[in-house]
Amino acid sequence: MRSFKAYFLQRLLREKLLLVAITALVAVMLLSAFSKRAAAFWRTQRATTVALADQQQWLRDRAAIEAHAQQAVKNLDPARTLDDTRLVGELNALARSEGVRFTNDTPQSERSGQFAVHTVQFNLQKTDWESLKRFYLELTKRSPYIGIEQFSLQSDRASPMQLNASIRVSSVEIVR
Amino acid sequence: MTQPSPNPPKAGVPAAKVVLLPDALFFARAIPMAPAATSAEAAVQAELGLEALAPFPPAQLYHGFFWVPGAERALVFAAYRRRFTREQVESWNGAELVLPAFAALLGGEVSPATTLLVTSADGLTAIHWDQGTVPAAVLFRPLPPAADDAEKARVRDELLRAAGGSREVIELGAPPEPVAAAGSEDEFVFRAEPRVSRLPAALAVTMDVRDKAELAALRRARARDVMLWRGFLGCAAAIGLIVLGWAALYGAGFWQKGRELKVAAQQPVVDQIMTQQSLATHINELSTKRLLPLEMISLVSGTIRPVSIQFLRATTDGLYTLKVDAQTTSPAEVSTFRSALADLPACEKVEVRDQRTRDNVMTFTLVITFHPDALKPAAAS
Repeated sequence: MRSFKAYFLQRLLREKLLLVAITALVAVMLLSAFSKRAAAFWRTQRATTVALADQQQWLRDRAAIEAHAQQAVKNLDPARTLDDTRLVGELNALARSEGVRFTNDTPQSERSGQFAVHTVQFNLQKTDWESLKRFYLELTKRSPYIGIEQFSLQSDRASPMQLNASIRVSSVEIVR
Repeated sequence: MTQPSPNPPKAGVPAAKVVLLPDALFFARAIPMAPAATSAEAAVQAELGLEALAPFPPAQLYHGFFWVPGAERALVFAAYRRRFTREQVESWNGAELVLPAFAALLGGEVSPATTLLVTSADGLTAIHWDQGTVPAAVLFRPLPPAADDAEKARVRDELLRAAGGSREVIELGAPPEPVAAAGSEDEFVFRAEPRVSRLPAALAVTMDVRDKAELAALRRARARDVMLWRGFLGCAAAIGLIVLGWAALYGAGFWQKGRELKVAAQQPVVDQIMTQQSLATHINELSTKRLLPLEMISLVSGTIRPVSIQFLRATTDGLYTLKVDAQTTSPAEVSTFRSALADLPACEKVEVRDQRTRDNVMTFTLVITFHPDALKPAAAS
């Protein structure tokens, strides 16, 4: 080091300035690149730490969640639960029995282990209040095997005394 | 004649560039000093003493002095500038220290009443200490190179007599040479076997015989150069640290990769648990928390609804909120209706939004939030 210091001090002033400037420039460039990389790394590792902690929390709660799920389906009769086909059929039959026009979208299913939840959006068109009410009351009798998730009602533009209803219902299926 | 000293390479560490001038060109005198003087005061006293002693003004001399704090005397030494050629003076450029050869031997411990004899190409120099660290006298006698032993002994005896009583005489066979100062850059080290002399840098500054203004400029340049060196060193250290940081980041990348793999491996299991949780909540809500839209609509459009207000559309939002788009030809009744709704025990909050009037018909949205469990399922008639 002392040899190098002696060598440095023996240089001309402009050479010393040039050496210092070049070294400083290299240091600044490296520092800039390093700080960007380090910041990106920090963000990534932070996100991973959070994700890992989140996952650990879920894994720790796994037994409790499974117990909760078992508890939720404990009071349900597997024979009365409906799969997506039975759900649509049941709704269709209900509508026909109450004399309302019925259209439905494709059912969506979410499954996990022993049970599944099926959701379907359907419309009742040009129906009167009393028919709608009867349909609704019949539907609620199927609770908790069928439940209403979302409900929208509006009067028909062409015939204000008639109503159009849009209903999203879901059903539980216990897979045997 | 100027006597530039060679810098012998030792273990790759160079000695400081020092120029040792022939003793023959200098006269040296001890002058009294105030022991409590500061370094600045000592410099002034030394220059005053030199003015009194020298036949020339200090501006025409190359001069310096040796004094250690607390000493009662200083040794001043000077040489007439014209005794040095321009080439000789130019050869001092870049030197860290220029001083007479005898001055290089003044550092270090000596016993009282000691005389140091130094043989050089020009003659014999005697440095005599009576007590303390500052010599009482420095004497030089020329001696031709061809002088025989008898002549040398005569000059030696003459010097010892002139120096005064000496209990110890140390004879150095060769003039001093600068060597590298191990472990410290704040001192100059000279070796003339068997003696090693160490001069602290602060002390050596006062012994430098060069023009004082020139020395001050050199010191400023030196300070600037040292600052540049430190800047260079700092930048180099920063580069080293950054390179280490890169290496650490590279290593940490493997660690991070391992964690990402762990996250990816666990994710399907976690997704399954999350779905299970979501479905369990959903099933639980189907059993315990029912959406009652017709009950909400019936309550809102019951007896309290003014006849002028017509409902156009009703939509549920969550389990306990109903949004109703309505119109009226009597805007004043909206506020009345809202108050009436708010007074219902089942209603937690009622808001009126998006009020617009066109052709005397006002449209608006009612947002009614019900208390949980306030609504009861309608019974089939």
